[in-house]
Amino acid sequence: MLVMLSASCGKHLNQYPSDGIPAEKITQDHAQMLTTGMYNIVQYKPTFNGWALFDLIGGDLIRTGATNVNTPKLMVEGAIDPNKSIVTSPWNGYFAGLYQINITLEYIEKLPDISEKNTMLGTCHFFRGLYYYHLVTRWRNLPIIRSSKGGELETQRSEAEVWEFVAEEFNKAITLLPEFTDKNYVSQEAAKGLLARTYLAMGRKEEAAALAESLILDSKFSLCEFSDIFRGSHNTEEIFTFANLLQEGRVNFSSYYYTKESGVGGGYNFCPSAEVMNMYQEYDKRKDISIGYQGSNPVLNKYCSGDAGRDPIHIVRLAEMYLISAECKGLQNGIDRLNELRLFRGLDRLNPSNEEEFIDAILNERRLELLGEGFRWFDLVRCGKYESTVGVEEKYTILPIPARELSLNNNLRQHPLWQAKMP
Amino acid sequence: MRKFTLCLWLIIGFLATTKLAAQEKIRLSEAFDLIEDQSGYTVAYNENLLNVNKRVKPSTSDLSLEENLRNLLRGTGMQAQISGKIILIVPKKSGEEEIEQELSKAYNVLDEAIVVGYGKMQRKDISSAIGVYNMEGLEGRAFSGGEALLQGRIAGVNIQASSGSLSSRNRVSIRGIGSLTAGNEPLYVIDGIPLSNTISDAGGWDGEQINALTDINPDDIESIQVLKDAAAAAIYGSRATNGVIVITTKQGKKGAPKVTAEAGTSLSYIPNLNKLKIADADLYLQVQNEAIDNYNRQTGGNVAHIINPYPDREQFSWVDLVLRTAVSWKGSASISGGSDKNKYYISANAKHNQGVIIGSKAEKYGIRANFETKIKNWLSSGINFNANYSYTHHVPNGNMGTSMLTHALEHRPWDTPYKEDGSYNVKDIDLLHYNLMQALNEQKAYNKNYRATGRGFIQIRFMDGLTLKSSAGGDFMYAEDYVYYGSKHMYGNSVGKLTDARKVYTSIVVDNLLNYKKEFANGLHLDAMLGHSFQQDASSVATQVGQGFPSDDFVVNSVAAEYINMKTSISKWSIQSFMSRINLNYRNRYLVTASARTDGSSKFTARNRYGFFPSISLGWNVSNETFWNNSGVNMKIRASAGMTGNQGGIGAYAWQPLANGGYNYIGENGIGLTTQGNEDLRWEKASQYNLGVDLSFYDGKLTATTDIYRKDTKDLLYNKPISATSGFTNQICNIGAMRNDGLEITLGSNLSTGDFRWQGNFNISFVKNQLTELIDDDGILASGSYHALKVGEEVGSFYMIKMIGIYQSDEEVPAKQYAQGVRAGDVIYEDVNKDGDIDTVNDSQFVGSANPIFTGGLSSMFTWKGFDLSFLLSFSYGNKLYQTWTGGLRLGNGLWPSQESEALARWTGPGTSYSVPRAIYGITWNSTKFINTRYLHDASYLRCRNVSLGYSLPKHIVKRIGMESLRVFVQADNLFLISPYRFIDPEVNSTLDATKMGLDNMWLPQSRTFSTGVKIKF
Repeated sequence: MLVMLSASCGKHLNQYPSDGIPAEKITQDHAQMLTTGMYNIVQYKPTFNGWALFDLIGGDLIRTGATNVNTPKLMVEGAIDPNKSIVTSPWNGYFAGLYQINITLEYIEKLPDISEKNTMLGTCHFFRGLYYYHLVTRWRNLPIIRSSKGGELETQRSEAEVWEFVAEEFNKAITLLPEFTDKNYVSQEAAKGLLARTYLAMGRKEEAAALAESLILDSKFSLCEFSDIFRGSHNTEEIFTFANLLQEGRVNFSSYYYTKESGVGGGYNFCPSAEVMNMYQEYDKRKDISIGYQGSNPVLNKYCSGDAGRDPIHIVRLAEMYLISAECKGLQNGIDRLNELRLFRGLDRLNPSNEEEFIDAILNERRLELLGEGFRWFDLVRCGKYESTVGVEEKYTILPIPARELSLNNNLRQHPLWQAKMP
Repeated sequence: MRKFTLCLWLIIGFLATTKLAAQEKIRLSEAFDLIEDQSGYTVAYNENLLNVNKRVKPSTSDLSLEENLRNLLRGTGMQAQISGKIILIVPKKSGEEEIEQELSKAYNVLDEAIVVGYGKMQRKDISSAIGVYNMEGLEGRAFSGGEALLQGRIAGVNIQASSGSLSSRNRVSIRGIGSLTAGNEPLYVIDGIPLSNTISDAGGWDGEQINALTDINPDDIESIQVLKDAAAAAIYGSRATNGVIVITTKQGKKGAPKVTAEAGTSLSYIPNLNKLKIADADLYLQVQNEAIDNYNRQTGGNVAHIINPYPDREQFSWVDLVLRTAVSWKGSASISGGSDKNKYYISANAKHNQGVIIGSKAEKYGIRANFETKIKNWLSSGINFNANYSYTHHVPNGNMGTSMLTHALEHRPWDTPYKEDGSYNVKDIDLLHYNLMQALNEQKAYNKNYRATGRGFIQIRFMDGLTLKSSAGGDFMYAEDYVYYGSKHMYGNSVGKLTDARKVYTSIVVDNLLNYKKEFANGLHLDAMLGHSFQQDASSVATQVGQGFPSDDFVVNSVAAEYINMKTSISKWSIQSFMSRINLNYRNRYLVTASARTDGSSKFTARNRYGFFPSISLGWNVSNETFWNNSGVNMKIRASAGMTGNQGGIGAYAWQPLANGGYNYIGENGIGLTTQGNEDLRWEKASQYNLGVDLSFYDGKLTATTDIYRKDTKDLLYNKPISATSGFTNQICNIGAMRNDGLEITLGSNLSTGDFRWQGNFNISFVKNQLTELIDDDGILASGSYHALKVGEEVGSFYMIKMIGIYQSDEEVPAKQYAQGVRAGDVIYEDVNKDGDIDTVNDSQFVGSANPIFTGGLSSMFTWKGFDLSFLLSFSYGNKLYQTWTGGLRLGNGLWPSQESEALARWTGPGTSYSVPRAIYGITWNSTKFINTRYLHDASYLRCRNVSLGYSLPKHIVKRIGMESLRVFVQADNLFLISPYRFIDPEVNSTLDATKMGLDNMWLPQSRTFSTGVKIKF
């Protein structure tokens, strides 16, 4: 009797979930699904803190509500800490996304040459480049993880090596990806834009300018009104934007930026500083879409879906290319691109008298143009102006590696600026 | 009094007449039925003396016991001998030696029957550690239910409430921490059905979960057995590591139908609210502006002062607004009875509990039917069935952003809920925090739970001593969470949002048990069991979230403008077990019990699927030895060893690396490899050793039980934090080993003199936990933000920066700290690595643990004539609690109001305070920068859980109105609490996880309850 019971019950001991399949059962048929899944994962893993960090600590935003800290300096000092989620959740997210990218790449590399293979590979390299751009700007020295296995065993590489890796990934993506057709999918052009951004940070200005120019001159793209770009209308300025749809996306910008007073509900955690509220000229066409008031509360106004929706995550758009091109070409050759953009946005021409003024003008324009899109902190840091602008110590020009990671991984060393030095 | 005492007597009949000679052949233990009379006392009798027993009943006679017995036995050639709790009926001609012998047999036979895993055993045969709680005298505990009944009652069983919310969950630990994973609840077995699901939720509510065990009607419970050591629990094998709580419900007794009915009502409120007093507007502004001045002075800043926008407004108390005195009532009734062949017990109960937060309520209804029938001499069958319905009206609680008490403390003194035009003041515009009235009024949130548990069995006797019991049972739950936030609610996305979650949970258990009993001529008694059990649990959850409703009158998702989340999930796991037990008893002196169980679980990969869990226990009834001549003193020595396992707390598919669906992008299906799995995952196993002594003096008037034990748990299952660069932040694995060493002492008394009777119980339990091994890690493994695991330290140890004082002058401040804005009046943290700076990596240290050094309880019940008075104290010593709620303690870091006591005690100049820092604007150093011991407190306590006074009307009066008894009572729960803890109640746990326990996030404290009720029987 026991044998009978055992046999009949024993088979019930093999149980499989209903929302997944064992990893070993993945086949060629799943390649496209893995690639699609990667979009979803890459889009949400960095969390709001990841996508918005350069704004949160760039000196343009302050905390609201009971935690009220009305100077950016205090906000930065309170937020940047090896234990705080603003540092830890993006760190965890980038590496979790990276695992997904690497494992997808490994599956796809094994495939026979099918029609979409290059696009899939290119997508992986694009995303890996994008993530490493985010990583290297924040933490500088990092392990370069190219495999889904053993990431925790890799040792840190120099900042220069990581930058080279980012450039290498975007270059691969350019050769593999198809041409632009849809702003919500990665393309050659999107890779070029990000490579331009990368070269700018690496100081390879000529190459950066050339890439930026190639996009400016590309007939598929042109500058468009903010009211189209940030209110969901068709436009030809966006080069790559994560769709971040309500049912699929988990990053909700607007809930951090708006109060619950109007139809656009939110938690209102961060708001523009008084300086930001005053930085736009009246006739600047960007003004009303960039900032606004809900009642008497100042708000960042680029993500207006409210609690009830989600806003797209803007990764690269044409205006940045004008600014990269201008910056890289220098005052004499670059001023025209800067002024083209300014005129389009409803402003007057500028005539900086020297390179220093020119750089300040570029930074100011980037601030006006790209407010809330994840640029400010690194713009200041790469130009060596962060400490003086926000009034904080040098260590805030880099993020500390989370304390949790240091205790779990002996291959990681804290950056010297964040090391507690022995007396 | 005589009548009352009579109930207590255990009556034994032993007839040696020729007529009954055949009866003698039936083994003594079978000849006596163990039943329970309506008072809850065990009575045993020989079937032939049934009538005698009835006539001896107090309601039928005012004669003394001796007289009664003499009358009964007149003409039978028998005599009665009264010895302690036993009345022995023997032939008149019996000699002294004969009487002694029979008495000894009787003692053994009438020993308490203890429910053990898959069977019952006599107390005398037991050589393992089992705590028993008979529901005797429990009429008083009218308004609590579930496992909380055991609070303070049984040594080694420590029960801590999560909060004072209605139906809040409890942290139950049996003999210390059983395992590391969140699933370290004991296994609950109700009438043979292991419960796998102890919460009522369907997953749609973000606040506290609902404890399903509170649905059990305490009046239905006959007894609760706690299987503490491995020898007792090993028969439940892989599920027993955290101990097993076996709940047995009442069964009918032979005799005429008996009806019991009870009703009661109660008032509850939160005591000691003054401990949470918030600074008034003047003090608040004084602190905030002092903080700003301090900041401006040291930084040259020019932050403006805060002014009171409503200087004429009186301070508004949000705490008073949301709290109330709650009124609850309950009622229950049961009918039981039976004949030689059939026994039945049916009951119904209803409870309407109000919570102390306005709007909070829980309604529970339940019915039970237990039925047993003897079809043939060799065939019997029975069924237990229980059905419950509960409705819980949710109010925001737990860690929700609108959690009532927490946020009632976070409004400024001038903040009020309504504007003059009656509209709400809202967060960020008018208020710092959510408007609690808006949260309460604009939501509709409830849980409905339908649950049925039942089991049917058939028992066949093949031959003398050999029986087969086959049973099949199930636990079925349907739960519905409905959470609607209206368009004016802060979570309503301005358009209205509805979360509608449904969950179906089914658990099927099939058991087949073969039992063999044999008494050998040489005095050896054998009791053997062989069994097979199969259980399969399945759950199916559907959650839809819709938003955009035409108005608050449209309340289903079919009218929602859009669906923002649609989720269904199905999961299933199963376990099959083979078990056996053999129990040997030689002349009631030497006892041996050995058991073995093999479990196979679907949660592990095929090669690690089966686990083997053996146990052995030995007992020596020293007092049954011929050399023992301490009359009235009994002594038993017990020793046991065994293994138990654990598979709780890990997911149904934990070992499998999976490609999961649902990672879609713009409507296209996407999959992700987001589950890592661990094919090496295996059972967590504990080896436990127990040594115990049971002593009783004066024929059981005083008792003492002591146990010492050691429990070594290896292959601890744990969701281990791993470096994120691996792609994952955690991996479920077998992480290490730990040890619990413990000592338990229970003292009991049962004394009576004249009309006065005292039953007392004192228990105390010491547990020392230690992590003994951590795989590939000899360092410190952080467990959340407040705790860490390290070999040599207790599990549940706090690991953080230590506050050691307040800087009294700027000169004391080390340069690196000075550069960060630290000045006189700020907190001094211990600089462990002496680098002049404070950082969490280098300066954290172990600073105590959330585990108590000892816990226990003291209870007494006094009866005098019709009066009964009982109390229960419970205590816990040496446990620490971290207050994660720092709202009132920030002193200028942010706009939070201050606790009055903290504001008044703040540092204002050299020598003014050595424990509370200065007020400082913007700088987080003192308050939120570090998790530090400023917020870690001693949470030892002594609580008076219950005091109850009852009066039973004299029999002759109640008889006149056709009743058997009538008792009225008044009682107080949580009458007082003595604790050094700074807030209201140290007994709060915002997590039930053993590695993260001891966190107070200002959840609702326990309320104080006064109740009254009446219980009648007829």
